[in-house]
Amino acid sequence: MSGARRFGLRARATASFAAGAALLSVALAAASFGLAHHYLLAQREASATTETYQDARLVRRDLLFGVGLRVEDVLSSFTVPQGTVLFVYQRGKWYSASVAIGEAAGTSRPVALPEALVSMVVGGQPARQRVMSGGQPAIAVGVPLGTEGADYFEVHSLRELARTLDLLAVVLAACAAATTLGGLLIGRWLSGRLVRPLNATAEVAAAIAGGALDKRLPVDGDPDLAVLAHSFNDMVEALAERMRRDARFASDVSHELRSPLTTVQASVELLAGCRPRLDAQGQRALDLLSGEVGRFSTMVQELLEISRSDAGALGLDLEELALADLVANTVAAWSGERVPVAVPPAAANVWVAADRRRFQRALVNVLENARTYGGGPVGVGVAVDGAWARVSVDDAGPGVAPGEREVVFERFYRGAVAGRRGDASGTGLGLSLVREHMRAHGGDVAVTERPGGGARFVLSLPVLHLDGPGTTGER
Amino acid sequence: MPVHILLIDDDANIRASLGMVLRQEGYTVSEAGSGEEALNSFHLHPADVVLVDLMLPGVDGFEVTRQLRRSSDVPVIVVSARTDTHDIVAGLEAGADDYLTKPVMAKELSARIRALMRRAMSTSREGPVICVGDLEIRPDAGTVHRGGVELALTRTEFRLLCELASRPGSVMDRPQLLNRVWGYDYFGDTRLVDVHIGRLRAKVERDPSRPEVVVTVRGLGYKLQGL
Repeated sequence: MSGARRFGLRARATASFAAGAALLSVALAAASFGLAHHYLLAQREASATTETYQDARLVRRDLLFGVGLRVEDVLSSFTVPQGTVLFVYQRGKWYSASVAIGEAAGTSRPVALPEALVSMVVGGQPARQRVMSGGQPAIAVGVPLGTEGADYFEVHSLRELARTLDLLAVVLAACAAATTLGGLLIGRWLSGRLVRPLNATAEVAAAIAGGALDKRLPVDGDPDLAVLAHSFNDMVEALAERMRRDARFASDVSHELRSPLTTVQASVELLAGCRPRLDAQGQRALDLLSGEVGRFSTMVQELLEISRSDAGALGLDLEELALADLVANTVAAWSGERVPVAVPPAAANVWVAADRRRFQRALVNVLENARTYGGGPVGVGVAVDGAWARVSVDDAGPGVAPGEREVVFERFYRGAVAGRRGDASGTGLGLSLVREHMRAHGGDVAVTERPGGGARFVLSLPVLHLDGPGTTGER
Repeated sequence: MPVHILLIDDDANIRASLGMVLRQEGYTVSEAGSGEEALNSFHLHPADVVLVDLMLPGVDGFEVTRQLRRSSDVPVIVVSARTDTHDIVAGLEAGADDYLTKPVMAKELSARIRALMRRAMSTSREGPVICVGDLEIRPDAGTVHRGGVELALTRTEFRLLCELASRPGSVMDRPQLLNRVWGYDYFGDTRLVDVHIGRLRAKVERDPSRPEVVVTVRGLGYKLQGL
C-alpha cells in the first residue's frame, strides 16, 4: 500500500505546507545568520584594526618624543576597554597592559599571540589573526612601530560579538520554528477549506445512497467547484431518472397485467363451477390453470408492491399497535391451517409503531413461505429482546442451510430448494417483500434454525413501549 | 326481487367475465363502458349496487362516483387496477363505500356486495332514538337529526355512526369497525375506516378539524363522545 493511500488528502496537504514552511524558514534563517555573522565579524575586525593603528600611533609618539618615558609608563597611560589587551614587544621583552593581566613585563611570548603573527610583525609586516584568549574567541592585531625596535599588539575580545551571534541564532531558530508551525496551521486550515465542499459532496452522496434521490449539491458556490457540482447533480439526475423509469416500467407492467388477469381469473372461476361436467383430462387442465392463475395473480401483486417499494411509493402508515394482538389476529385470520401463538407474559404488553397492512403482509408471507417450503408453520412466538420485539415463525421443513440464510431474501432466489419448487406455488418474491416491509419499519427479518429441526424466521421491530397505549383524550 | 348491479368498466372482456360471474351469483347486471353511459343508465334504471372502474375515458370513475353521490346513497364499490394509496383514498373521498383491486376474486366480490346490501337493508328494524350530544339517531328510520335538521348521511356513514353509538363512550378499534360495518375479516384496509370517519365528521361535527363527537383514541381506535 502506498503512503498516499495511508494518509488522507488533508494530512498530506498539511504535511506539505509544514515541510515547505520548514524548508523555507530554515534556509532563510541560515542565510540570515551567515550574512550577519560575516558582516558583523568583518566590521569588528575593521574596527579592531583601526583602533590598533590609532593606539599604535599614540604609543609610537610617546616612545619617540616622551622623554624618559618607559614602555610600562606609556602603556599604563592608556585606558584599556574591557576585554582588550595591549602588548609592546621591544628588544626581546614583552610589555603588556590589561585589566585582567595587569602591567607586567617578561621575555616569553604571551599565549594570546600566535607565533606566526608575532614573527610576521617583527619582520615588519602588519598582521591580523583570530585567536583564542582565555578560552574566548578574540582577534589579535599586530603593527610594527618602526622605531625603537618596538612592535605593537592588541588582542580584542570577540565575546560580545559571539554573544550577539548566539542570540541571533536563537531568535532565527525560534522564527523558523514559528514559521513552520504557521505553515502547518495554514496548511491545515486551507486544506480543511478545500476539503469542505468534498465533505458536503460526501454527505449528499451518502443521503442519495440512503434513498433521498431528490438531494442535490448547491451549484451557486465556488465557480471552480461548480463544475464538479454540476456533473455530480447530472449524474444523480440521470440515476434517479433511470430508477424512476425502471420502477415505473415494473409498475406499469403489473398495472397493465391486472385487467386481462381480471378477465382470466373470473373466467377460470366460472369454469371451476363447471368442473363436474368436464372429463378427467379437462379437470386436470382446469386445476393446473386455476393454480397458475392464482400464482400469477400473486406474482403481479408482489411485483407491483416491490416496484412501488423501490420507487419509495409504498409509504408507511404507522399506528401504535399491541404486537401480541396483531400477531394473534393475523395468524387467526390467515387462510392456512391453525398455528399456535406463544406469547410469554413479558411480551404480552409490547407496543410497536407499525403499518398494519405492511406488517400483516410480512407475517403472512412468512407463514405462506412456511406452508410452501417448510411443511407448514408449527408455531409462532412473540418475544422481547431489549429494545427489539421479535416475532418468530417455526416450520417443520428441512431448514435453510447456513450459506443460504441471506440469499433466500433475494428476489426470485432459486437455490438448493429449486428442485422442490417444481410443484410449489411460490412466486420468488414473498421473502424479499418481507425484508422490504420490515426494513421500512426500521426492523429486519432473518432466518435461523429451530431447535429440533426446521427453519425459524424472525421478524424484528423496534419496541415502542411496554405498557398500555399512549392515549389522548379521555379513556 | 333480485339485486340489480351496474357494472362500469371500459374493458369489454372484464364486463363480460365479471358479468357472467355476477349473474351466476344470482344478481341482475347492466353494463356500461363509459362514465356518460353509466350515469344515463343509472337515471333510467337505478341499481342497488354500483361497481365502478376508476380509469374510464371521458367522465372518469371519480367523477361518476361524485355525481351518483349527489343524488343517491347507492352503495358504490370501486374496482380498480390502481393500488396507490392516493387513488384509493381519492376514490373513497369521492364517495365510494368500498374498493377492490383487480384482479378480483368472484368470492370476494360477492362477499363485498352482500356486506353492503346487508347494511343497506338492516336499517328497517325497530329501535329507540339514540341521543349523543345534540344528535338524535333513529336506527329504525335510518335518520340523524341535529336541532330538528336531518343530516344527509350515506348508508355506510350511518351504519358507522350506529356501530359507534351502540356502545357510546367505549372505544372501537379499526379492525372491529371494518368487521362490523364492512364485513371484512382481519385483513381489511383500515384506510376505509379513516376516510369514512373523516366524511362522517364533516357532517356531524360543528368543527370537523376539532372533533367533539367522533373522537380518536390514539393507539386504540374511535369512540363516540356522549355529552
